[in-house]
Amino acid sequence: MDKHSSRRPPVISIGILALISLACLFSEVIMTKDPSYLDLYNCNVAPNSEFLFGTDTLGRDIFSMIWYGGRISLFIGLLSTLISTVIAVVFGALSGMAPKWLDDILMRFTEILLSVPSLLLIVLLQAIFGDAGTLSIAVVIGLTGWISIAKIVRTEVRQLSGSRYIIASRCMGGSFFHILWRHLTPNFFPTIMFMIVMNIRSAIVAESTLSFMGIGLPIEVISWGSMLSLAQRAMLTGSYWIIVIPGVFLVLTIFCMTEIGNYLRKTSGRRASNL
Amino acid sequence: MNANKSARKKRKYKDKALYYLKKLALFVISVFVLSIIVFWLSRLTPGDPLMAYYGERASQMGEAERAHALTRLGLDQPTLTQYIYWLKNAFEGDFGISYKYKQPVLSVIAGRLLNTALLGGISFVLMFILALLLGIFCIWHEDRLADKILCKVGTIISCIPEFWLSLVLILVFAVILHIAPSSGAYTIGHSGDVADRIRHLILPLIAVILSHLWYYTYMIRNKLAEEVREDYVLLAKAKGLSRRDIMFKHCIRGILPAYFSIMAISIPHVVGGTYIVEMLFSYPGIGTLSYEAAQLHDYNMLMVLCIITGVVVIFFNILSQIINERIDPRIKAREKTEEIYESLGENGGVING
Repeated sequence: MDKHSSRRPPVISIGILALISLACLFSEVIMTKDPSYLDLYNCNVAPNSEFLFGTDTLGRDIFSMIWYGGRISLFIGLLSTLISTVIAVVFGALSGMAPKWLDDILMRFTEILLSVPSLLLIVLLQAIFGDAGTLSIAVVIGLTGWISIAKIVRTEVRQLSGSRYIIASRCMGGSFFHILWRHLTPNFFPTIMFMIVMNIRSAIVAESTLSFMGIGLPIEVISWGSMLSLAQRAMLTGSYWIIVIPGVFLVLTIFCMTEIGNYLRKTSGRRASNL
Repeated sequence: MNANKSARKKRKYKDKALYYLKKLALFVISVFVLSIIVFWLSRLTPGDPLMAYYGERASQMGEAERAHALTRLGLDQPTLTQYIYWLKNAFEGDFGISYKYKQPVLSVIAGRLLNTALLGGISFVLMFILALLLGIFCIWHEDRLADKILCKVGTIISCIPEFWLSLVLILVFAVILHIAPSSGAYTIGHSGDVADRIRHLILPLIAVILSHLWYYTYMIRNKLAEEVREDYVLLAKAKGLSRRDIMFKHCIRGILPAYFSIMAISIPHVVGGTYIVEMLFSYPGIGTLSYEAAQLHDYNMLMVLCIITGVVVIFFNILSQIINERIDPRIKAREKTEEIYESLGENGGVING
């Protein structure tokens, strides 16, 4: 589609993302303070040489929290995307290889699920799971975010399942999961790769939105979203850094992922048309 | 010969009627299933619906008093019985009372619906116009500096989570500059004052529009970019038509079906976005109400709100399908990954409010 846009990989975005991820992964080395320590003498301190990004309304050091919390944000993004992808691949492949009537029912089912406001679904599921923790919120977001990938997988599988090698494998007694794993997945994986990247970023946004609204991670579990849940209080004291700094990291990460996702989207489109 | 023709015409109408009937059935079934899912899920969540009705007093109730209260609200029955009862009443136009407001659900919602419709409606109309204008502007200057800058800035803005964008808007315009109010739909006592309402709408509007605009503009831009590479543009050029005439008389007409379907897809996302923005600006609309209802287990309220949202979302999803399949037959049956992805809207429809 974009004949004129460059197909160079987004080096800068990959670099920034790698830098942020590495810093979050090795946050112990970078942190200057204990991120969960409530330094009550230093609440709402503007960025200075001791507190590089200032402190929040509870007196925690934002610089340390960014790296420490980023790890949780990224982890939730990855885990929930993994869950979504597994559900999507199994569901999509089932639907794609099923007889037409079953396929129709399954597809109508996804359309109905797509029409449920997913934020609401998350709120209800979260309430069923009880207290929100890192794992439970990743599972909830993962459980609600698989539908669009499943639709694509189903279309791809429909096109692939008539191929001779699939029929051959079936004749030799290959089970559903064998065919799915050995023959189908390697073929459709490049096509859904960009959606997986986009899914990671959506999951991170979802987590931060939920934590911000007070229905995601509690304030003591540090993530970029739960850091922002102090924003309303920060607004009253005019401590802009509490709002701006975690947000900038959030936006930067999401932007890098979008660039990478868009690049993958273009390259996967090209591959499909050459076949 | 003639009879043959009229028979064929009849069959054509029959096909058409069947097509729309199928879509209607899909709509009804979707809303029905949605109501079951929400009803069932909301009953599964732990938490006390009596808290919404009686407030703190609910926790001090005795065993017998509790049982009596549950019977009175019809909550002691099994979920299935409750659902059938709810469905029967709903067909008669009775959606029950809100546990929190102690009023019929519909009258509570009626007061708020207009506010949300105003916010959602105006942002959609503005988006509808701006997306096309920006798309045209980009293609007019395709691959030149203005286009490139706009594309980059747009991508960055579309990456900003809606809630954070709202926060920053409040911080800059309400807290630091004091030029716009940060919450509510009107100053208390001035509910009829149009100017006051507009002042309260400005920031929420900007938040909704900015966070959704670029995604759709970019889609229109790409559609237009394909359109201006068609052969007929070359012909028009050879005929001596001006650039402006080709663009506005031919190319725009070419992408109209795609444009309408893109904008129909955007509606569910705008609705979802409106809800988040409403919560941030404490704007008294459906969004704040549904958040409250889900938190307080105000079941009757939750059901109606979900169904209202669901009806809007399902309706426009089906509408965009119809536009795609009927008005622009070129798209029909081309089951390609790219098109399915596009038909899902922002983020492939992963999280939409």
